[in-house]
Amino acid sequence: MGRVTPDGARPPRRVYPFPAILAQEEMKLALLLNAVNPAIGGVLVRGEKGTAKSTAARGIRELLPPAGGASPPFVDFPLGATEDMVIGSIDFERAIRDGEPRFQPGLLARAHGGVLYIDEVNLLDDHLVDSILDAAESGENIVEREGQSLRHPARFILIGTMNPEEGELRPQLLDRFGLAVSVGGETDPAARVELLRRREAFDGDPDAFAAAWREQTAALGRRLAAARERLPDVLIPAHLAAFIGEICLRNHVAGHRADLAVARAARAHAAWHGRGDVNADDILAVAPMALLHRMRAGEPEMPPPPPPPPMEEPDDRETEESAEPPPSEAPEGEEARENGESAAAPPPNEGKGCDGGDAGDGKDDGGGDVPGEAQEIGATYAVRPIAQQTKDQIPRAGSGRRSRSRSASRQGRYVKSTPRRTERNDLALDATLRAAAPHQRFRRFAATRDLAVLIWPDDIREKIRERRVGNFLLFVVDGSGSMGARRRMVETKAAIMSLLLDAYQKRDKVAMVCFRGAGAETVLEPTGSIERAARLLADLPVGGRTPLTAGLAEAAEVLRRALLKEPAVMPLVILMTDGRANAALGGGIARDEALRAAGALGRRFPTARFAVVDTEAPGIVRLALARQLATALDAAYFKVEELRAEDLVSIAKSCER
Amino acid sequence: MTTNSPIPYPFVAIVGQEDLKTSLILNVINPGLSGVLIRGEKGTAKSTAVRALADLLPEIEVVDGDPFQSDPRDPRAMAPDALARHLAGERLPVRRRKVRVVELPVSATEDRVIGTIDLETALKEGRKVIEPGLLAAAHRGILYVDEVNLLDDHVVDVLLDSAAMGVNTIEREGVSLSHPARFTLIGTMNPEEGELRPQLLDRFGLCVQVEGLTDPARRVEVVKRRAAFEDDPAAFAERWAGETEKTRQAIAAAIAAYPRVKASDAILYAIADRSLKLGVDGHRSDIVMLKAAKALAAWAGRDEVSDADVDAAAALALAHRVRRRPFEGIVREGGREKGEG
Repeated sequence: MGRVTPDGARPPRRVYPFPAILAQEEMKLALLLNAVNPAIGGVLVRGEKGTAKSTAARGIRELLPPAGGASPPFVDFPLGATEDMVIGSIDFERAIRDGEPRFQPGLLARAHGGVLYIDEVNLLDDHLVDSILDAAESGENIVEREGQSLRHPARFILIGTMNPEEGELRPQLLDRFGLAVSVGGETDPAARVELLRRREAFDGDPDAFAAAWREQTAALGRRLAAARERLPDVLIPAHLAAFIGEICLRNHVAGHRADLAVARAARAHAAWHGRGDVNADDILAVAPMALLHRMRAGEPEMPPPPPPPPMEEPDDRETEESAEPPPSEAPEGEEARENGESAAAPPPNEGKGCDGGDAGDGKDDGGGDVPGEAQEIGATYAVRPIAQQTKDQIPRAGSGRRSRSRSASRQGRYVKSTPRRTERNDLALDATLRAAAPHQRFRRFAATRDLAVLIWPDDIREKIRERRVGNFLLFVVDGSGSMGARRRMVETKAAIMSLLLDAYQKRDKVAMVCFRGAGAETVLEPTGSIERAARLLADLPVGGRTPLTAGLAEAAEVLRRALLKEPAVMPLVILMTDGRANAALGGGIARDEALRAAGALGRRFPTARFAVVDTEAPGIVRLALARQLATALDAAYFKVEELRAEDLVSIAKSCER
Repeated sequence: MTTNSPIPYPFVAIVGQEDLKTSLILNVINPGLSGVLIRGEKGTAKSTAVRALADLLPEIEVVDGDPFQSDPRDPRAMAPDALARHLAGERLPVRRRKVRVVELPVSATEDRVIGTIDLETALKEGRKVIEPGLLAAAHRGILYVDEVNLLDDHVVDVLLDSAAMGVNTIEREGVSLSHPARFTLIGTMNPEEGELRPQLLDRFGLCVQVEGLTDPARRVEVVKRRAAFEDDPAAFAERWAGETEKTRQAIAAAIAAYPRVKASDAILYAIADRSLKLGVDGHRSDIVMLKAAKALAAWAGRDEVSDADVDAAAALALAHRVRRRPFEGIVREGGREKGEG
């Protein structure tokens, strides 16, 4: 097998020329604005597959003005990157050779002054996203690992693309992208055909195609360079700075990042159009891109722009603005100034929704659990008692994605290393070598054996791996006659369906136990095919007595088998019943028996999480039997009529972990 | 990891499964179609067909001794090492070999797929050297994943990454390298065991549904041929050698003819129209349909795309792209074949 020493020449890529991208004006504008002013904080391009997201992101590279004779770096962030490659680590080659720890820069260092591009950013491991966003925001990368302690500048244009079908980004990560745009497919046949022609021409002969567009590409590049040059001189008149604040306030965006992003993008927009003053149109053009991903729901609403002040003299303008440094300078100073610039808006921490964004946003997942704010939004059910109840009772997982867990086995993605703690024999060779490298020269003297690398026990590092643990959802559904009354089953099925939808995105496994009449039955063995579950659900019959104990016993059996097969799995058992057990397995009172069985079930499967969805019809008399059941199971408790799809999904989330 | 079993079952001896065979051949004619997803139950010749395809594949030139399958004539398809040599004016050694089918086992780990550090050299010499992964081996070839729907999520992410970029980037364990990795992705799956993620689904240019044959006479024929093959593979292959050679030549002719195939404006509009009517996501469906229609025309020896080509291309390219509610199965257009998920 051949081997190759890394860090050779980089192969040229086939890059589709940026100006040849048809339509998608908003996406192109967002990318260009960031190229004019990287301080905007990056772009997140959201959209369905096959909509030129990646093509545009790559195309922007050709437009960037070269820095110091070389074209600026463009770092394609691979999803499989390990943490040390992102942040940087000790270069063991140098360490062994020269006996000194030398820092080997990571991807963040390589992206400095250029573009960091993350395709499918929503699939990236959270801890990596955090490191990247930290660097993007502060403009530097801080390394504290392997005895290295240093910081280096890391300012880059951050471009991320994602397909929402694959799951959302956490809101606090969303917020940190300066702009976000949505792209969709072209619906005009003529445009589609033109697109098809261009693509065919490009695929047929990329060089000729690029040549045909060379002049336009170059023109765009020149315009970009000119805009960059002009940017420091672009001013925001005072009355418009207030207007920006008003827009952000009107749209209830959390935090002050939106104000900053609008201001920076508006200045870039003015520079792009060759003007020295920001006007209301600049602001209106960029505001939706800065607001959409920071809002709870709906379309941004734009207040009418203010009339210009009667006599606008140059000295009316905010003079601090003229001191704007070029975008490549440290953003800290700029940040302070732009805060001042939006001073006409209320200070960031005054409004309720404006809680600064970076502090404590680990728990606010945008679900609207800030009390008080809900009233003014109007669509209130997201903050109905259930949401607060969940928050109070159970710590939220915060992430709406698959659960991830540290993997004890040797499976999963290698994310970082640690000094040896166990005997798993899962050696992190790279980290071990790095740990041993600086000591090699010294150890030579004490060496008893002639080995190339002398590794002492203290050097041994182990891999920490992470794997996504799919949830296993076990539905235990009451199919008795009482469920048929007043369309309870319709509600229940709707609820299950909503949960299945969520499971589909996370690629969870599901199984279903149904109890009715004489006993319980596993109607669906654990499967990854949510489609089958959904089809089955439609045909689920109702009628007969309620053998709740039998249902719980059957659930125990399914759980046992599932855990036997995959011990790492974290089952979530969702019991959907009104709790009116009336058919016992033994001779006793059915209800008491069921409660005992529930208690036993909870104890038998400590890793399982339980939720009881009470399907009892609303009315004056509530027996609240399901509530007792929930207590016995130590389960989260919900009433079915409180469950809209949104809330239901949050049940699954709140039960995670 | 190349599937070079002694003698594969001859492709041309597969009974029926015309859609499957056509879609595979189209991908050989134009690798830009980016693959086929083969959906169907167990025992429907899915794997046999893919492995048999190896025999029909054309030859390509590679840089001799290069683990990244660099193209000696195209700098864009060269790995850094070969590229550096090329740029230094070296005459790269050329070797002709068949396009390869590289199998990616479902149990493959991420580092095996991407490539990783070579432990031996690192330990012995303290040097960082890369051990190329399956994506390097599959460059300019076919990457075959049996049971692609059971693939580990991390590996799927990596596949998506390189399938989208045509480049594999190794950033792990102290090594860092990018090399071109353009491959035709062929996957098989049994929908009973769960669906594919939409993003990965979209990466497959074409999708076919295979089913067991229903005609008793043909079923008997399948068994007969299979028995004959197992009895004496060499003799069986020999019996089909003439047919195989004919197909090979036809493929070569189609590859040569492909660049000459023209599609009229009416055809382009017909293609766009179909995507719009079915409400598919994005534009990849249009691009794939056009390529498939052109390949079909080339395969039929014509240099103009016909309406029938578009029909056939649509049947192969659209089914898995129709925007559907999450729980709907993939249904073939026109209800010709139903592939319930």
